[in-house]
Amino acid sequence: MDLPMSLPYLQLTAPSWPLETETVSPAAMEERPTWEPEAWGSPGGWLAPREARAGPSLSSVLNELPSAATLRYRGPGVLPWGASEEEEEDGERRLQTMAEVAQQELEEPVPSRELPWPMQARRTHRKSHARDQVAQGSGSRASNCALKFRRLKEKTKEGLHTLQPWAWTLKRIGGQFGAGTESYFSLLRFLLLLNVLASVIKACMTLLPTWLEGTLPGPPGSDTSSPCGFYNPSPQGLVTFPTHLLNLLSGEGFLEWSPLFYGFYPPRAHLAITYLCSVFVIGLLYLLFILHRSVSGLKQTLVAESGALTSYSHRVFTAWDFGLCGDVHVRLRQRNILYELQVELEEAVVRRQAAVRTLGQQARVWSVRILLNLLVIALLGAAFYGIYWATGATVELQETPSVQQMPLLKLLVDYLPSIFISGVNFLLPPVFKLIAPLEGYTRSHQIAFILLRTVFLRLASLLVLLFSLWNQITCGGKAEAEECKTCGYNYKELPCWETRLGQEMYKLLLFDLLTGVAVMLLIQFPRKLLCGLCPGALGRVVGTQEFQVPDEVLGLIYAQTVVWVGSFFCPLLPLLNTAKFLLLFYFKKFTLFSTCSPASRTFRASTANFFFPLVLLLGLAISAVPVLYSIFLIPPSKLCGPFQGQSSIWAQIPESISNLPQTVQNFLFFLGTQAFAVPLLLISSILMAYTLALANSYGRLVSELKRQIETEAQNKVFLAQRAVALSSATGALRPP
Amino acid sequence: MGNKQTVFTHEQLEAYQDNPFRQRIAQVFSEDGDGHMTLDNFLDMFSVMSEMAPRDLKAYYAFKIYDFNNDGYICAWDLEQTVTKLTRGELSAEEVSLVCEKVLDEADGDHDGRLSLEDFQNMILRAPDFLSTFHIRI
Repeated sequence: MDLPMSLPYLQLTAPSWPLETETVSPAAMEERPTWEPEAWGSPGGWLAPREARAGPSLSSVLNELPSAATLRYRGPGVLPWGASEEEEEDGERRLQTMAEVAQQELEEPVPSRELPWPMQARRTHRKSHARDQVAQGSGSRASNCALKFRRLKEKTKEGLHTLQPWAWTLKRIGGQFGAGTESYFSLLRFLLLLNVLASVIKACMTLLPTWLEGTLPGPPGSDTSSPCGFYNPSPQGLVTFPTHLLNLLSGEGFLEWSPLFYGFYPPRAHLAITYLCSVFVIGLLYLLFILHRSVSGLKQTLVAESGALTSYSHRVFTAWDFGLCGDVHVRLRQRNILYELQVELEEAVVRRQAAVRTLGQQARVWSVRILLNLLVIALLGAAFYGIYWATGATVELQETPSVQQMPLLKLLVDYLPSIFISGVNFLLPPVFKLIAPLEGYTRSHQIAFILLRTVFLRLASLLVLLFSLWNQITCGGKAEAEECKTCGYNYKELPCWETRLGQEMYKLLLFDLLTGVAVMLLIQFPRKLLCGLCPGALGRVVGTQEFQVPDEVLGLIYAQTVVWVGSFFCPLLPLLNTAKFLLLFYFKKFTLFSTCSPASRTFRASTANFFFPLVLLLGLAISAVPVLYSIFLIPPSKLCGPFQGQSSIWAQIPESISNLPQTVQNFLFFLGTQAFAVPLLLISSILMAYTLALANSYGRLVSELKRQIETEAQNKVFLAQRAVALSSATGALRPP
Repeated sequence: MGNKQTVFTHEQLEAYQDNPFRQRIAQVFSEDGDGHMTLDNFLDMFSVMSEMAPRDLKAYYAFKIYDFNNDGYICAWDLEQTVTKLTRGELSAEEVSLVCEKVLDEADGDHDGRLSLEDFQNMILRAPDFLSTFHIRI
C-alpha cells in the first residue's frame, strides 16, 4: 500500500510520552526538534519510515477513511500540522492529490467560515471560490438570485439581532453569572417587548376611539336615580394632598374616573366593539409569541439525549464555560462543577439504595412521602383560606368609620389581599425547600417538586383572590340573593365591579414592585454591606447572596399573569407594567452586579428555556379563565363602562354583527353552527394523531440509527484490523 | 492587546484568562503547536469560539482541546486530566476514576476503552448546552 505519504499521527499504542502540560515548556521543545508534541500532527513523525516498512498500522488505515478527510487535509496551501520541513516536496505532491480528493469530497460549496481550516487556508479557499464564481460567469441566474436572497435574509436576521436592546448587557451577565441568570434577563426583555406591543394596541383600540368620537361624559353624580343604586367615584369636597397620594396608591379618588379603569369609558357601540376585540387580539398575539419562544427552546431539549444516558459525559465536556473570566468566577464555576459531579455520584448511590429497598423500608418511605404531601396541602390550604378571608374582610373593614377616618389605616386595609399574597409567596417556598430533602427523592426530582409546588402556590393564590372577588360580586353565584336580585351583581357594595377588579390588579402590581424594591434596599444591600464586614465564616455564609433564578422567574411570570387578568378591566395596565419591567430590569441588574455572587448551583439554561415558557403559557391559560367568565357570564355594571345596559359583555358582538351585511352575517353565523365545529374538531384530531404517529416513528428511527452507528463503528474497526493483518501477512511473505 | 506584536506567547494570554484549559487552547490553535499564536491563529480561535461557528466545527476543536496527549483519542488519562482541571483537584482519586469510568461507559460507541472523534461528536452534538458553553464572548 502506498502509505509512506500518509501521516501516521494516530497511534495505536498508549502515548509513550505522557504529557504533563504544565511541565512542557518552550525550552523543552528545542531539545527535540523533530518532535512536535502539541501539534495535531505526528507525534512520531520520525517513526513514519519505520512503520511504512513494516506495513500499515491500524491507525494509518483508519486515517485513510473518508470520514477522516478533515483531519488529513488542512486546506489549500497549508501543510498539515506537524509535517516537518524535509517532507515539503513530498508534502506538496501529497497536498495536491489530497486537494483533488478533498474537493470531490466537499460535494457542495461550503462557506469558508464553516471549514475547520486555519485562517490562511480559508482565505485561499475564499479567493479560489470567488475566482471560480467569476469564471463561471453569471452562472445561472436562478442560483445567483438564490444566493443574493440568502445573503439578504442573513443580513436582515443580523440586523434584527442588533436591534434587540441590551444585547451587550445580557452577554456580560451570561459571561459572569452563567447562562441561567442570562435566561432570566432574556425572559424579562421578552416580556417587556410584549407589554410594549400590548400597550400600543390597547391605546390604539381603546383610547383613540374614546377621544376621537366626541366629548366625554363626566362621572355620574349622586343625583342619578336608577334601580341599581348610584355610583359616585369623584371625591367629595376638598381633597388634601396626602389623600391624593394615597389615592394614587390605591387607585381611588381621582384615578377611579380616569382612562386607567374600565368605568371611565363611555357607552358607545364602536368603542364597545374595539374594547372587546382588543382583548382577544392581544391574547392571541401573546399566545403566538410565547409559543414561538417555547418551541425554539423545546427543539433543543427534544433533540438532546435524555439526561439519564449522557449525564456524566455532558457534565464533563460541556460544563466548562469558556467565556468565564476573572479568578472569582472561574473558582465559583469549578466549585459548581464539583458540586454537580458530587451530586450525580450521590444520586447514583441513592438510586442504588432505592433499588435494594425491602418492602418494609418502601412502606416507610412512602408513608413519609404521603405525610409530607398532606403537610404541603395543609399549608397551601391555610394560605388560600387566609387570602380568601383577607379579601372578604377588606370590604367589611372599609365600611367601618374608624378605618375611613385614618387614611393610612385605610390604605393598609386596601392592600390587605396583596399583603397576604406577598407574605404567603415569601414564607412558603423556603418551607417547601426544607420539606423536599425529607422525601427521599434524588436531587433533580426534589428541585422539580419544589418548582411545581411554588408555581402552584403563586398561580393558585391569584385564583383564590379572584374567586373571593367573584364571591362578592355575584353574591356567591346565587342570582336570587337579595343583593344581586335586581341588577345581577352586588350593586350596593360594588356599584362598578369592573373598576373594582381593575383596582385590585393595579394594587397587586404596585405592591409587587414596592416589595421588590424594598427587599433589595432593605435586605440585600444591608446584608451585603454589614455582613461583608463580619469576620470569618459567618460573614461569608450570611453575606454571599445568590441570584436565585427559579424564584425570580416565577415572580416575573406571576407579575405578568396579574397584568393579563387585569388588562381587560384596567386598559392602561400593560403600559404601567412596561414601566415596571423597565425599572425592574435596571434594579435587578444593579442588584446582581453589586450584591450577588454567581449561584453555586446552576440552573441549566436548556431546562430554563423549556420550562419557563411552559409556565408562562400556563399563566396565560389561567388568566384567560376569569376574563372569559366575566365577559360571558357576569352582567356588566349598569352605571359605568362601555357595556352599560347590556345583558352581558359579549352581547355587544351579536348586536353589532346584525348590523353587518347579510353575507357576512351568514358566514359568521355559519362559523358558530355545529356543521362547522364538528368537522373542524374531527380534522384537528386527525392532524394531531398523525403528528403523534410521525413523532413516534421519528423517535424509533433515531434509536435505530443510533444502533446502526454503533454497529458501523465496530465494523470499521474490524475491517481496518483485517486490512492490517492481511497486508502485514502479505508483507511477511514478500521476499526481503 | 500587545504593541504591534505578531506573536502572542501563552504567558500573555494567561493574563487574560483564568481558564484552566488556557494552555490547551493555546496549543491547539497555535500553528506550530507549541502555544505561540500568530494573529491568524488568534482569529481562528475567536472565530471557532464565537457564536456563529457551526456545531461540528466546535465539536472538532473541543475534541482537540480535551485530547491532552494528542494521540487522536480521548483516553482514560485524558479524561482524568480534564476532570481534575474542572474540579480544581478537589475530587478524590476514587471519585475521579468513577466519573471517568461512567463517561467512557456512556460515550464510547465502539467499546475500545477510549473516545474517538466520532464517539465524541456523536455525544457532544446532542448536548443542549454545548453551544452556549463553548463560547467566548467578545
